[in-house]
Amino acid sequence: MFENIAPQKIDLRQWSTQFRLLEDTDIKQFKYYGNDEWGVYLSPPATFMVYGARELKKLKFDNSLSALRLWGFAFNESERLFRARQSGKHIVAAMGDLGTVPVITMSFPECVPFYPDCTWWTPFFNESTVLLDKASELGTPEGSCFVRSTLAAFHKMAYFPKPDILFASTGASCDDYSCIMQMVEDMGYELNWLEIPYRRHRKDYHVEERYTKTAHGFEYPERFETYLVDEYKRVWHKMKQLTGTDDTERLKQSINKNNRLRRLTHEIRELTHNANIAPYPGLEMMVIEFGNLYGYADIDEWLNILSMVKETILGRIEKGLGVLRPDAIPLAWVTPTADPLLLNIVEDLGGRVVATEYVINQALVEIDEEIDPFVALARSFMDASMIGSTEERIRNITTGVDSGKVAGVIISNMLGCSHCAMETRLIEEKLKRVPVLAIDVPGPLGITEQLRTRIAAFLEMLR
Amino acid sequence: MNDILTPRERFGLLVIDERPDRCNIMPLVTSHAATVKDMKLRDYYTNGENMARAQIAALEKYGHDAISIFSEVGIIAEAMGSVFEYPENDLPIQRVPALKKKKIDELTIPNPKTTARLPVYLEAIEYAYDALGDKVPILVYIPAPFTTGMMLSEPNEFLMQTIKEPVQIERILAKSLDAAIELCYHTIDAGGLPIIVDPLASSSVISPKAYKQYALPYERRLIDYLHRYDLDVILHICGETTPIVNLLPETHADLISIDRVSMSDTIEEISGKLRLIGNYDTSQLAFSSPDVITHEVTEMVRQSKNAAKGYIAATGCEVPTQAPAENLIAFVNAAKETGWYWV
Repeated sequence: MFENIAPQKIDLRQWSTQFRLLEDTDIKQFKYYGNDEWGVYLSPPATFMVYGARELKKLKFDNSLSALRLWGFAFNESERLFRARQSGKHIVAAMGDLGTVPVITMSFPECVPFYPDCTWWTPFFNESTVLLDKASELGTPEGSCFVRSTLAAFHKMAYFPKPDILFASTGASCDDYSCIMQMVEDMGYELNWLEIPYRRHRKDYHVEERYTKTAHGFEYPERFETYLVDEYKRVWHKMKQLTGTDDTERLKQSINKNNRLRRLTHEIRELTHNANIAPYPGLEMMVIEFGNLYGYADIDEWLNILSMVKETILGRIEKGLGVLRPDAIPLAWVTPTADPLLLNIVEDLGGRVVATEYVINQALVEIDEEIDPFVALARSFMDASMIGSTEERIRNITTGVDSGKVAGVIISNMLGCSHCAMETRLIEEKLKRVPVLAIDVPGPLGITEQLRTRIAAFLEMLR
Repeated sequence: MNDILTPRERFGLLVIDERPDRCNIMPLVTSHAATVKDMKLRDYYTNGENMARAQIAALEKYGHDAISIFSEVGIIAEAMGSVFEYPENDLPIQRVPALKKKKIDELTIPNPKTTARLPVYLEAIEYAYDALGDKVPILVYIPAPFTTGMMLSEPNEFLMQTIKEPVQIERILAKSLDAAIELCYHTIDAGGLPIIVDPLASSSVISPKAYKQYALPYERRLIDYLHRYDLDVILHICGETTPIVNLLPETHADLISIDRVSMSDTIEEISGKLRLIGNYDTSQLAFSSPDVITHEVTEMVRQSKNAAKGYIAATGCEVPTQAPAENLIAFVNAAKETGWYWV
């Protein structure tokens, strides 16, 4: 379906027109949890707009069936979590670690992990301050990052069901979110805290200890592995208490499945970023990268969707087709933008994302299946974006710059995010051999013509 | 109790079978909204921005949970050729039905962006959606094919044809269905949630047999079309519906809005299959006192709020334009007080 339609980015109304071409049987073939009654998710963007996602009126989307499927599935996540609960599944909130706790919790039968953290996109998709205002009412300072909307979501319990168990990672992680998680705990939720160590380098003044390296070549004290293994075993123990099961073979199976997801995501990124003409838009690619963390609460269906996305991309590359102009300016994007519209704007103005650092590198690394699974998880997590130096965080960007693949870098700062405020200048410093544009992402409905002009001027300068 | 959720969040939970903070409260505040803005009715139903502004004013005044974009059930028939008169302070009155001057084959499917008052609806939806769409569902009342069919015809002739000329009726209904689908399509793209209204299919007007033969199949086809979008569809049939209550699940509606029926019987009969909406007597809203209304609404909500698939406190039909504001406020406050779910 849609194979004969030329690839392009289309708006909501164009999608509605194209959606009319689908037969009922086309729509009903895709469903989550295999449920016919409520599991069908292939809806056009207009459906989600009717239910309040107002920014969809402004966004442009890829016009393939795979993208329709991707968006329908991603936007359906909230309902999916409630349906999971209604079907007797355990709802597991993983917070702050971005990538590893879900691999463990998926080892337990009928357990569905999700990231409440991702609620930070809701105010932007809805063009709404409802959650941000409520978070302020609940005591978060206005100067904290948009992730404070998660607190309001916990208060309202309308965006995800009350989790059966919550894991909260702190330490070398997002400090604003650590505060939010503490406030969630103050509401009466029982949080199981994990600590993330800082990936420090060997220094003369350190006491003597053994160091090792991650898959990406980042050095760290070997004892951190033991430390993280203990943390993950605590997660395991809690899950065992919750479900009454204890089968580490299933952990190996979960790692295997998550590796399939990670490989597929990696392949899609490589294909998209290296094609002559961009075969898939930057916004959909961001959705794909974040799906890598937990499969949007149904990893099996997400894997099916990604396989279809890969087919779409391969087909387009083979035909030399794409969704952006061939001379689009190759950019690296650092820090995921809370407002998806920015990605659209950059592409509309002639940019193309060919490298990303969305603070989730750890979820892009394959987990070793030949060693003890807990050690393997710990090792893979030590590649995490946010737990080491700035230089390490942006290493793949600097590689892209050095190879000439990246012509410019856009950094999206989140208003109120202290992590951004500190690190953006450092990143700019370290990337000074290439032009860098740092954007302060404004609140919902905050994108102005002035901001568009800045982006246009930046791209014009690169051209 | 203070509300925890916005109307949008509350409705969102209801349609996925979750209990919100309290029951949704959606009295059918349609053209009554004009009175809140001291607006002439003609100014309300001929200007989309006026309609939306009046709806927003009513929502702010009464505190209910939905915007209702609607004037009267002739809106599609008018766009297909029926002639209406616009009294300054009354709803449009049909003067000449389209089929009086046209043959069925000559009926064309109107473009909602350009034809008759359909653009008024689209303008109203867009205005309301931009203003409140993140917090409040924008419900748009779409006349079902049977009701539009009758508004295209001389009513008596249409009813006689249901007995004598079923083929003709089917042709009219097919055209009406296509027109309704087209309006739904544009409604959705503007941000509105279509709710299907079929007042002329009530048992006050036609027999259960005629309902089953002519109205229901077209309601179902329209609802099935909306289900392609995965939308949750409300079907409203005012008047007497007791004889057809057991047929309502066959429409495939997700929520059913009912008027003159016994709510307790309806709960027993179909509340396991459909979410129920209703059914306070609108004449009471017009002529009774806040105290009586408080008492009766409390009782209605107490009886209905635990319906298996969920419940929305509403009026059985449109709130009369002359209903005093204090009566509406009493309705909403009583429903809020009694309809609370969360501990």
